[in-house]
Order: sequence, then C-alpha cells, then structure tokens
Amino acid sequence: MVSDQLLDELRHRGLLSAHHTEAIRQDERSRPFSLHYELRAALYLGITLLTGGLGVLLYQHLDDIGHGVVVLSMAVLMLTGFGYAARHRQPFTWEQVTTSSFVPDYALLLGCLLFLALETYLQVQYNLFGNRYGLATVLPAVLFFLLAYRFDHRGVLAMAITALASWVGVSVAPLSAFTDNNFLYYGLGGAAVGLGLLLTAVGFEAEINRHKPHFAFTYISLGANLALLAATSALFTFYPQPFLPKVLVVPLLVVLSGSLVWYARRTKSYLFLLMGVLYGYITVTYLLFRVLDGVHGEIGATIVMLYFTLSAVGVVVLFVHGKKFLNRS
Amino acid sequence: MNLKAYNPAWAQHEAMHAATARWFRRGLLTSEQQQAIQTAYPLDFYRPGLFLRIGLFIFAYIGASGMVGLLAVITSFDHLESLAFIAAIGTWLALEFFIRSSRLYHAGADNALLYMALGWAALWLTAVLDDVLPSISSSSLLSSIQTTLLLGPLFLLGLLATIRFADRVVAFATYCLLLLLITIWLLQLPFGRLVLPFILMAVSAGAYQLVALLSKRPDYTYYQRCLVVLKVLSLSSLYLAGNYYVVREGNAVLGGDYLSAQIPSAPVFYLLTALVPLLYIRVGLRHPSRVWLLTGLAAAAFSLFTLRHYRAVLPTEIAAVLFGLLLILLAVWAARYLRPTRHGLTSLAQDEQPPLFNLESLIVAETAVVPTAPEPTFQFGGGHSGGAGADGTY
Repeated sequence: MVSDQLLDELRHRGLLSAHHTEAIRQDERSRPFSLHYELRAALYLGITLLTGGLGVLLYQHLDDIGHGVVVLSMAVLMLTGFGYAARHRQPFTWEQVTTSSFVPDYALLLGCLLFLALETYLQVQYNLFGNRYGLATVLPAVLFFLLAYRFDHRGVLAMAITALASWVGVSVAPLSAFTDNNFLYYGLGGAAVGLGLLLTAVGFEAEINRHKPHFAFTYISLGANLALLAATSALFTFYPQPFLPKVLVVPLLVVLSGSLVWYARRTKSYLFLLMGVLYGYITVTYLLFRVLDGVHGEIGATIVMLYFTLSAVGVVVLFVHGKKFLNRS
Repeated sequence: MNLKAYNPAWAQHEAMHAATARWFRRGLLTSEQQQAIQTAYPLDFYRPGLFLRIGLFIFAYIGASGMVGLLAVITSFDHLESLAFIAAIGTWLALEFFIRSSRLYHAGADNALLYMALGWAALWLTAVLDDVLPSISSSSLLSSIQTTLLLGPLFLLGLLATIRFADRVVAFATYCLLLLLITIWLLQLPFGRLVLPFILMAVSAGAYQLVALLSKRPDYTYYQRCLVVLKVLSLSSLYLAGNYYVVREGNAVLGGDYLSAQIPSAPVFYLLTALVPLLYIRVGLRHPSRVWLLTGLAAAAFSLFTLRHYRAVLPTEIAAVLFGLLLILLAVWAARYLRPTRHGLTSLAQDEQPPLFNLESLIVAETAVVPTAPEPTFQFGGGHSGGAGADGTY
C-alpha cells in the first residue's frame, strides 16, 4: 500500500514516532470504506428512471382505466416525497444547512419531478390552465424557488431556474443552450440575454449580501453562460437583431466577461475566470477577424497565425500567474 | 538523459501531502505535525485547479497550433512530411523546455503539448508509410501488413511517452493500441476469430496482474495515476472481451454480416456476461476497492443492456419504473443500514476530498425536463409537448 511506504519514510526521517506510525497504520487498515457518493448517484438514477418511466406510462394509458392507478400512485409518491422532506427539514437560515442524511434531499427532488409530471398531466387531460401556458410554467418556477430556499436545495434551485427560463421561452440548461436554442429565428436573443443578466445579478446579490451565498454558483454559472452565449451568437449572426444590435453586444460581452473575472477574483473560482477569459477571447478574436476582413492572402494568414500564437501565450502567462492574480483581491 | 521527464520527487511529495491532509482530517496528526511534514516535503511544482488546467490546455493548444500554422504559412506549406516532423520535434522540445523552466506537472499546458507532439508524430509516420509502401485498399485495412507497420511504431511511441511522461490519456491509448495489435495478429490465424475473446481476456488478466504488481513498487509513485487508469481499463477489457453483445456483434462485424447470428459456445458468454460484474462488485465491496466496485457497476449496467438488447423482458417504461424503484429502495436501505459503519463500509461522507464544485445542480438542470410553453398556435396536448421524461429521453 502507498500509505505504508509513506509511513515508513516518515518514520525513517524521524518526523513521526514508532508508536504514532503504528496508530496511523492501524487506522488506515480499519478505516471504513465510504459508499456515500455511490449511494447518492444510485438514488438520483433511481429517481430519474422512476419519474421518467411513470411519465411515459401516464401518456400511454391516457385513455384507458389504468391511468387512474398511475396518477394515484404518482400523487401518493409525490406527497410521500414532500412529506419525508418536510419531516426532516432543518430550521431556515440564510447560510448553508448541514444535514446528517442525504435521503431527504432526494425525497424533495422526487416530489418536484413528480409534481412536474402531474401538472403536465392535469393540463393535458383537464386543460386546467386553459390557454394560459405562462401560468402553467411559472407555477412550478415559483414553487421550486420557494422549496429551494426553504429546504436549501441547489438541485431544486436549478430546476426552478430551468422552469423560469422555459417561462421566458428559452432553455437554460448548460448543454442544451448550445444545441436547442435558435436565438436567431425566434428573436429570443434579447430575452435570453435579459434573463441571463437577471440571474447573474441575483447571484452577485446572493454573494454580496450573504443571502445563501452558496446558491450564487448555480445562479451565475447558468445565468452568465446563457447571457454570454446568446450575446455571442448575436455577434455572429448575419441578420441584424432588433433587440441586440452589435454596437450593444460588444460592450455587453466585454462588461460581462470582465465582471466574471472580477467575481472569480472575489471567490477565487477558476471556473468563472475560465468562462470570462474564453468569452472575452472569442469577442476579441471576432473583432480582429472583422478588421482583417479586407486583408487577403498571405499577409492576412500570417497576421492571424501570429495573433493566435501571441495571444495564446499571453493567456497562458495570465493563467500561470492566475493564482497570484486571484489572490490579490 | 533521465528516463522521467518530471521530477520523481514531485509525485512522492504530492502523495505525502494528500496522505497527511487525510490523517489530519481524521485527527491522527496535530496541525504542527502536518505543518512539519509538509515543509519537509514541499510542493515545488506548478499545477493549478481543474478549470485553470482546462484553460491552459485550450490556450496551449491554440498557441502551439498557431506556431505550426505560422511556420506553414511562411514556408508556403510545400512539404507535409517535413512540416509534421519539425512540428513533432519542436513541440516535444518545447514541452521538455517548459517542464524544466516553469515546473509544469500535469498542468494542462504540458498535456496539450504532449498530445500535439504525439499527434504530429503519428501524422508523420502515416505520411511516410503512405509514400514508401504501395497504397492499400480500405477493405483489407485490418489485415494488412501496413496497419501493423503503422500501429507497431505507434504503440512503441506511446509506451515510451508513457514511461517518460506518465500521462493517463497516453497510457489509455497505448493499452488500446496493444489490444488492437493482438486482435489484428490473431485474425491472421485460421482459428483466430474463435479464440480471440479468450486470448483478449487472458491478456487483460495478465495486464491487470502486471499493473497490480507494479503499483506495489515503492519507486512507482510517479506512475500511480497511470496505473489506476490501466487497472480500470484492463478490468473493463477483461469484461468486454467476454461480454455476449460485444462478442456477437464483433463477430458479425469481422465476418462482414449485416445481422449478427448466434455465436459458438454462447452459454459460456452468457455466464461471463452475468457473473463477471457480480464478481467485480463483490471484490470491490470486500476488498474494498473503488476501482473494482465502479468498474463492476458499469459492467452490470452494460450486462443489463446486453440482456435487454436480445431479450426484452419487460416494456422499457415498466422496466424503468421497477428498476428505479428498486434502486431507490436499495439506496435508502443501504444509507440507513451503513450508518455509521457495518462490515467496514459506511454511507457517511468520508475524508475524501469534497466535490470540487456543485456538479449535481448542473446535472439536474441538464436532465430534468420542464414542460416548455408551446408556440401560441400549437394546442397543448400533443404527444411531443414534453413533461417529465415523457419523450422517453430520460
């Protein structure tokens, strides 16, 4: 074992006594093996499979008698989930809550996912919300925000943000933001940037006023990603955007990238430094290509290659000194 | 020249820091003792956090590509082979230089330069072989001597690079190249296809034995990260070589059939598909070893997929509901049963490093499907308007 070698060496160099070495060796042998993250992953996978399967079953049995059973079991499961979470709730605080067990967290998640499935069912079957689709999507958003703050649950917070975004009409999920959204066709670029900015602002507020500062990561990572992505894609479109002229987009991208770097320095978070630098780099590179549009042939190619080499070296130097840069706050 | 590119003491010191931090969290060391040990084993190399490493990787890649592009542009790009050769040598020298000068140690930038150097070398080899040997038709690609002539040197190159740089991705690719070479050689023999699964399993088992032996050596801390990857990989290839789906479909691909047919000695593979994951999980829990446990769980998932691929026991949605319910109940039971500790296992978070950032909330945002507002003209009620997992993509 590696730890045995290390202990031998420490003993040899006189940094630990023989007795102490033996005690640590004993602990290394008897230390229990933690299945914490494996069990959490199993719970999450189980909940996803269960709610997904129930959702499909509900649709398949929409017209026969069997669907009553499915609805009933889903409602019971949902109430069980919410009830279990409520029974194990901790007193409310603006700080992060520490719990001994992770099961209530997942019970809450199960309840929320089933709530979505049941709400959709009620709309499909009984047309509960009529044509007020906005109400149908804003309701889960409000409920999930309340639950997220009350139960201190970042997963439910992410679901609330997703529901809010679907109310606005865009998908905010980090990967599908790259694939699903056609900001250009629906003119949603402005809305996406607005929502992204709002979420980022809420995140900054949470961080500064210590209103659940650990939520800031979720707000800012989802919000800033959405805003920057929508703004960048507006930058690359050929057709002019009514709400996002390029003369506004460029300063917006610069300011947003800059504030991400500022936030990265504040929280010493390398993710936001990376995001800020990457989007900033894309913007600057785009502008350079615009300027070079008239220059053709070998001179243009040489300038581009020189730019890539030198700028990349510059960014690498910035990153290598990133630790110093982040600590100097 | 030293065989190892990085200072071997760095690996040793890093392991010492991780161990003492763990012992300190478990209350086995006082903070003065931890301080004393950590000053005796200083971390005098450069490796930032994950995201900075990603950034360094991306921008080192852009920078090195820009350099090669610049060379190509100013020499008007007239000879690909020479360019690839110069790029490979140049990138490698730059890599060695930056490791010396900036004390990079698996810091992102050095990974990028290493992969680029190997990529250019592979391109150069391919181009040279293409010039020297008569061109081959793509249908005989697998069995040709050219393939061996290309893959053989690539394997040796990967092996040398792994010995020198102890990089996980290179180790991964090198092991895959080895398996590929063995497969190609075996397929030349008359009974090759029949014994291929068993030979690959034997090779994997041998590789695991070798890796397990090597990781016990005190002077191999330098390779610890590679050896873990190779353990997972050899266990995976041992399982996959005996998996019914892989054997049957692989057989069909090698035979050039469009539909796979039943394979010889199928019961052996049924048994292997069913039992190997259970064995891995058992060893993983008993030993205990996360490598065996997680590989076993992944193998079990693939075995379930294999079963469902050939025999759909239940409709997908019912299977999902039942299996989901089973997983939840099992996890909740285990979480309570293993608190605080039974059979040397616990469900409490241990002294392992807490997750770097809240990955979970991003996964939830990605997988949870929220009903989206349809277009105003669209009547709510169609099958495709979504709902939690209703589109079957859960």
